[in-house]
Amino acid sequence: MSNDVAFLAEFSDGAPTRAALELAAGAAELAEGSGGSAVALAYGPGAADAAALGAAGASRAVLLGDDAAPAITHAAAAAATVRDLKPIALLAPATPNGRDLAAALVGLLGLPAFGPVRAVRIEGGTVRTEQATLQGTVITVSEPTDAAEQPAVVLVLPSTFTPREGGKGSAAVTKASAAAGPFDAARIVESHPAEAAVANLEEASIIVAGGRGVGSADGFAPLHELAAALGGAVGASRAAADAGWVPYQLQIGQTGKVVKPALYVGCGISGAIQHRVGMQTAQNVLAINKDPDAPIGEFADLFVVGDLFSIVPKLTAEIRRRKGL
Amino acid sequence: MVCIKQVPATTAAKRYTADLRLDRAAAEAVINPLDEYAIEQALRLQESGAVESVGYLSMGPDQAGEALRRALAMGGDDATLVTDPALGGADAWATARVLAAALDKLAPDVALMGMASDDARGSLVPGAVAALRGVPLLSYGSELRIEGSAARVRRLTADGFDIVEAPMPVVASVTDQVGEPRYASLKGIMAAKRKPMETWSLADIGLSADDLHGAALTRVVEARKPEAKSPTERVEGVGADEAVTRIADWLAARKLI
Repeated sequence: MSNDVAFLAEFSDGAPTRAALELAAGAAELAEGSGGSAVALAYGPGAADAAALGAAGASRAVLLGDDAAPAITHAAAAAATVRDLKPIALLAPATPNGRDLAAALVGLLGLPAFGPVRAVRIEGGTVRTEQATLQGTVITVSEPTDAAEQPAVVLVLPSTFTPREGGKGSAAVTKASAAAGPFDAARIVESHPAEAAVANLEEASIIVAGGRGVGSADGFAPLHELAAALGGAVGASRAAADAGWVPYQLQIGQTGKVVKPALYVGCGISGAIQHRVGMQTAQNVLAINKDPDAPIGEFADLFVVGDLFSIVPKLTAEIRRRKGL
Repeated sequence: MVCIKQVPATTAAKRYTADLRLDRAAAEAVINPLDEYAIEQALRLQESGAVESVGYLSMGPDQAGEALRRALAMGGDDATLVTDPALGGADAWATARVLAAALDKLAPDVALMGMASDDARGSLVPGAVAALRGVPLLSYGSELRIEGSAARVRRLTADGFDIVEAPMPVVASVTDQVGEPRYASLKGIMAAKRKPMETWSLADIGLSADDLHGAALTRVVEARKPEAKSPTERVEGVGADEAVTRIADWLAARKLI
């Protein structure tokens, strides 16, 4: 057993993902308190450069593999590494890949699992996590039982930790020992990248989201303009993604992305619970909706009852004017 | 074999018991909405002749049998409920352990699940079940297909999608993009009453309460209401220009512009 805090660090297109940088900062913060080190379990295209995670907070990094295979195929190597390391906690991003790998570790090693959590701390050698459950109606604090072995596997929501800026240093990299398992049999037989670039909502600090009230793919044009004026990205509700107005990668909510921007602007979004769980931790929520009884009016910070098509273009112009653009 | 979970309805009033567990007896219970997409996907595969039979598996209290009956009313052939007093408060690991043991006995080509449960939202059970059974995982499919002796899912990537394949048997999970779940017809509801449903205890699947360490490796030590949000400021009954000024002032006051 060790006091180290391990984290899953996914690489994509040759660089660590935003989630990897957030968890590096989180693991470093927790490891300082537990008296151990932050150790990255790096995988994905570019992970061979895991030493660079040193600047993000990692003391050491174990390379699971740097190919483009499904993340789950690294499960056997991750399990072998975790078995050797016995860290007090393993942080995993609450993304599809992060959840798959975390789940495999829970099954392979019989570990306690937590999350998705919005806070985690280590107090007197005990990992405690804080989670919103039952559609956010209750906050629960949980910990491993006495029978549980290390590590506690913790799924961490995006933006729970803030990446370090201007950090220096290099993580000592070792390669995971080769391990094989049944997960290796999954392989990508076709890959279909999108023709146009798709924004990564988890990296946006301002999101302008559109819902059913936007009415069409063309209706998203003024939202894109507003997002550009604010320096943000465009997101959507499930209704808008299902209608084919935007790609599914932009969907926010229970079955899409969970986001925590500084500003969320909901246009023509009613605010059903499935959408709400994806954005309710945004720091500032502005909603524009012509229905005065829309549920979003109950939890927005500023709720404007009106027609988004007359308000949004004027708002874009006003923001440009005030910003001197 | 579709694994389903009975959960409290989103709209149901929720109460916690003295030991901080959800009082499942007090809440209106439904099939986890995301599991209904897994049911729909399985029934479509059966209708197209890609799979021979569709069965359902659930772990829960006796009343979870109602969720299985509702699933059978949508279609499919039979159902199995694993219920045992030792399973109260089961966490992701214990749930996966029980489902994996039951699936070892049922031996389906595909164990299919929804992408997450409405109440816990960890999405950990499919991967943990696959690990415990020693079979591949095909997760987050927006479509599941059977191609000969292999299963394939269409899975979203950062900017597009991949087709991921693995030889059966597999554990798979699907999203809400597989197609809207059907409603049970009156005929389906009547037919469901005659479909076979088995009830297994832990002993029936070769597990003991000791194997499950009290059904959880995690415990809730505190449950509380979320912090109250500041009240909503409403702008209503004004023209677009006035609304825009109010919004811009609000953004400026928060240093967002």
